[in-house]
Amino acid sequence: MKLEWHRKLKELLDTAIYIKDIKGEDFLDISFLIKEISKVYEDFYQYDENFIEKFLMQVESRLKFIIEEGEKTLTPYEIVKIARHPQRFTLQDILENVYDSYMELGGEKELNIDPAIICAKAMIVRKVENDLYFHQVMVIGHEKGHGEEFRQGGSAKPWGNEKALRYMKMAETEGTPIHFFIFTPGAYPIEDYPGSAQQIARNLYYMSKLKVPTIAFISEGGSGGAEAIGLADIRLMAEKGYYSVISPEGAAAIEAKLKEGRPPRELVEKCAKALKLTAKDNLEFGTIDKIVPEPPLGARKKDYKFFKRLKLELIRATDEVILQTRSLKFLRKYVLSKQDTEDFKFFVNWNLDEDEIEILIENRYKKYKKMTQWAVCEPKNIFKTFFDFGHNLGLKFKNEIKYRVLKPGHRGFKKFLEELTTESSLLLKPVSDPVKTVYNIIVSKKIRPKLPTPILEEEISPYTSPLALEDKTVTCPEAEKYGCPDIWVPDLYGEFCGVCPNCGYHFPLEYKWYLNNIFDKNSVKIFNNDIASGNPLEFEGYAEKLKEARKRTGLKSALLSFEAKIGGISLVAVMLVGEFRQGTVGVAEGEKFIRAIELAKITRRPFLALVHTTGGIRIHEGTLGLVQMPRCTMAVRDYVDAGGLYIVIYDNNSYAGPVASFLGSAPYQFALKSTRLGFAGPRVIRETTGQDVPPDYHSAENALKRGHIQGIWDRRELRKKLFTALLTMGGKNLYYR
Amino acid sequence: MKERILIANRGEIALRIMEACKDLGIEYVVVYTKEDQDSLHVKLAEKKYRISDYRDMNDLLAVADEVKCTAIHPGYGFLSENYRFARRVVKRERSLIFIGPSWEAIRDLGNKLFLKKLAKNLGIPVIPGTTEPIYNEIEAELKAEELYENLNSQGINNPSLLIKPVAGGGGMGIAEVKDLEELRPTFRKIRAYAKRLFGDEGIIIEAKIPLLQHVEVQILGSKHGEYVHFGTRNCTIQSLSKQKRIEIAPGFNYESKYTFNFKEVEQNIINYSLKLAKYLNYDNAGTWEWLITPEGKYYLMEVNTRIQVENEISAKISFVKNKQINLIKEQIRIAFGEKLGYSQKDIKFKGTSIELRLVAEDTKRGFHPLSGTITKFRWTPQSWLTVRTHVPQDKPYTIPTQFDPNLALAIICGNNFEEAKKKSLEFLNDVIIEGYTPKGEKLITNIEFLKEKINELYKFIET
Repeated sequence: MKLEWHRKLKELLDTAIYIKDIKGEDFLDISFLIKEISKVYEDFYQYDENFIEKFLMQVESRLKFIIEEGEKTLTPYEIVKIARHPQRFTLQDILENVYDSYMELGGEKELNIDPAIICAKAMIVRKVENDLYFHQVMVIGHEKGHGEEFRQGGSAKPWGNEKALRYMKMAETEGTPIHFFIFTPGAYPIEDYPGSAQQIARNLYYMSKLKVPTIAFISEGGSGGAEAIGLADIRLMAEKGYYSVISPEGAAAIEAKLKEGRPPRELVEKCAKALKLTAKDNLEFGTIDKIVPEPPLGARKKDYKFFKRLKLELIRATDEVILQTRSLKFLRKYVLSKQDTEDFKFFVNWNLDEDEIEILIENRYKKYKKMTQWAVCEPKNIFKTFFDFGHNLGLKFKNEIKYRVLKPGHRGFKKFLEELTTESSLLLKPVSDPVKTVYNIIVSKKIRPKLPTPILEEEISPYTSPLALEDKTVTCPEAEKYGCPDIWVPDLYGEFCGVCPNCGYHFPLEYKWYLNNIFDKNSVKIFNNDIASGNPLEFEGYAEKLKEARKRTGLKSALLSFEAKIGGISLVAVMLVGEFRQGTVGVAEGEKFIRAIELAKITRRPFLALVHTTGGIRIHEGTLGLVQMPRCTMAVRDYVDAGGLYIVIYDNNSYAGPVASFLGSAPYQFALKSTRLGFAGPRVIRETTGQDVPPDYHSAENALKRGHIQGIWDRRELRKKLFTALLTMGGKNLYYR
Repeated sequence: MKERILIANRGEIALRIMEACKDLGIEYVVVYTKEDQDSLHVKLAEKKYRISDYRDMNDLLAVADEVKCTAIHPGYGFLSENYRFARRVVKRERSLIFIGPSWEAIRDLGNKLFLKKLAKNLGIPVIPGTTEPIYNEIEAELKAEELYENLNSQGINNPSLLIKPVAGGGGMGIAEVKDLEELRPTFRKIRAYAKRLFGDEGIIIEAKIPLLQHVEVQILGSKHGEYVHFGTRNCTIQSLSKQKRIEIAPGFNYESKYTFNFKEVEQNIINYSLKLAKYLNYDNAGTWEWLITPEGKYYLMEVNTRIQVENEISAKISFVKNKQINLIKEQIRIAFGEKLGYSQKDIKFKGTSIELRLVAEDTKRGFHPLSGTITKFRWTPQSWLTVRTHVPQDKPYTIPTQFDPNLALAIICGNNFEEAKKKSLEFLNDVIIEGYTPKGEKLITNIEFLKEKINELYKFIET
């Protein structure tokens, strides 16, 4: 008996410390209570039994009261603390308690390619009346390990994400559903072989057409790290979890424009509130589908009731995804929606056939396409909407007819004709050859083959950058290394294209330069320019900044989408403009990207993404911005699978989210010289890994060495190189093939 | 405002610009580098500034601003044909006069392909070949075949083709193709070379002219739309790296017989040169270089948008209203916006003039430039002889290694070709250049080479 009391006392002490950690030392005299409990705990055997029994009762009820009070006054930052607390349940606990048997794959504690990611083959049991049914699932998730050092707090390294991808593919071949568990503060921001951004992009690209049902459960969803295994058919979220584009501390550091040190606590709390990172907010925004309720102040290691509930929710979610693909589903869906005990009324087979897989992928695409569309700021007008719809439909119809019906027929006929003539010419050769020779002697002219390629006309409109109007000289930043002479500014921004003629250093240029100097004269037609960046989170102070950026640049969002021509080849292009909020991506940018790439898909044109500069996902739009990562990547996958040619060109600085998703997943990525490209900046790397990075860590040369990009181009040759790329890359589905 | 000219050059051209300025009563400033501090142009000038390099635009313009110059004379070489420099001089906030043609003209005429295209459009004959850069082999082969057939049909049997990088110059990276079978490997080789050296893979293919003479036309245009020419020069005798060694004016030997009507050819190339100059509103001194074949065919090769080294031989035989002309003076006058004050009718040509370039080089070993110290440099002054040199005669002079080892220009005048030739030989036998190389050996010059080659004047040479 005594032993049990002792254990119980220990538990109560842990709870009290937990409360203190979450709510702070001054919350309802919690510190005093802890002192009291620890005194009794340490000198346990000196107290008599009656006292202890009474003490336990007292403390228990007191703690219960405190917890209830604490729950009432829970702030977003406290929720962040709950999600990060070492006493919170981890994936290991879930594997133990939710699944009925499991086997960890590729890892045992430290003996693991990346201990922060756990993959396991698990069995989940469904009870239908007296029968037991076993479902196989693949479990992939982050492991925080109750504060174990080697787990890096659940920060997955690139090779950890690679491991996750490998087991996803495995599950795909086996046809077992995947359950993702997200417990990460963010990805481990290193560049390696591959780099963080690259691997996340690959994961997203693959997951967008994974042929099995996927369920994600988010407890701590930190930015790109969460997305790396977060693109799922249904996203569940723990009630006391957070899902955010950036940690509140990171947001505060950016808001306070800190280069060093920690941001002030008040600002961090303010940011946590402004980011709207709680489960309730995310459900409201539609970035998650369902909340899994938790006990007050969050579930911990031993909250068995919670695990039971989680199990139910997981099965239900998987059922729901499966039933969406079935033709006969009305009754079962209705019953499922009423389901709230562990006794299921029916069994759902989790295996899908070919047609169902197609529906599954289509559903997933639709779901992500619809996500955050409510937040798009666009002038609404019934006539315009109707017109656009009609126009789109017409365009689709026309192109379908043109490319799917007419062209293959035409092509087939041509091929047949060609073959026929070749065959017949071989047959007739003995007859026709002497005739030909005689003919050639008389006319003495050789038959020449036609030139295979159209020729790029060089001279295009002379556009002078406004930077070139000053009469002064600048010193090349690499002058010390290469001994470059000072450059006269009108030369530099004139025909040098902002490139030092001696060492090839690229100076930044304004975005208009690209619009005027890469594409054919007068061929740039900007569309969807009405879609504007808004302030869906009502982030304090952001509306003013947005207004200022709009006024300064005359743009409505950081992404320009336009149709243009290079050497007569028509293409659809988007450009992330650095002048507008550092080229960050939010709802408007994502939506414009998707519409542009869909237009390219319908009209079978190549798609070009020019990155003038991107600073990542716009933190002021919170998770609404973050889900643009999977959204846009899905559109990319859809476009590439349809036979499109997607080329990305990086210039200046390209970091974080976009690089880790819809840009980084492009089959052809090129960087201009002097580009910096990576996942996180040097400051974030130092804070998360404690290491300083060398100055050329993010250089284009190193990105090429790591295999992130396919080549480094010179800005002076950009037009020529792009033209060659359009001619040589891409499949036969492009309109000009 | 008082005009003041910055002389952005060295050697004999600097001296000649100084002389012209003095004659015109214009102030001038010279610049020099460390190696040139003993040079004559530095010694004779009152205002002088030391700079790091004659090619350093920043230094030159800083000096110009410091001394409040109003114009810059670039001379020849260095920045004289750099349109960026010309543009920068004109377009800066404190704008200066660039003594030379407009920067647009320098840019357009400096671009060989553009020139070729433009000339073709104006109906001016150019060397048969492509006018667009070629990037791939298939295209190259087709173009080469076409050209080959074209030349054959013109009666040229077994023509050779030249493969040149678009971006190159000065004879670098040119390869000859005698047989079309060699074309692809040669093309690949030159393309790789061009990529490495100039960063541009563009290649052009031209016909090779086996026998030729090099004749150029001296043009002068003003800002008021006046154009005159100062006859032709023959610069066929060159070093291996296509640097001229002996020049003679006029460009055709009036006493000898040609298989074609040389007077007509001369008139045609002058007319064509003027046509192009007028088309581009060319407003300074310039030289149109032509290739003449033994059959009497002529092709425009390139345009030099600057004063030439050999400008003085044209000046020596040209008389405006019976007064000898000075092209540098004319250049400066025109640049300041003055009218010519005479027309083509007033220009009369009389006599023959030869220029010999005395260079410290080993003509037997590939015209290898030499450096060293000159201890003795002497010649007998004559009424028919002008020697232009920056080498001081009163003390030893060390030849700087950074620049071409040009020592002196000797300009010899005669009433006719035979007389000028005789006098040239007399001068060459008379002149004494002594010195030693850094190794202590005797310094070699090209005097022997000049003696030998002077007999080849006005002859067609093989390339």
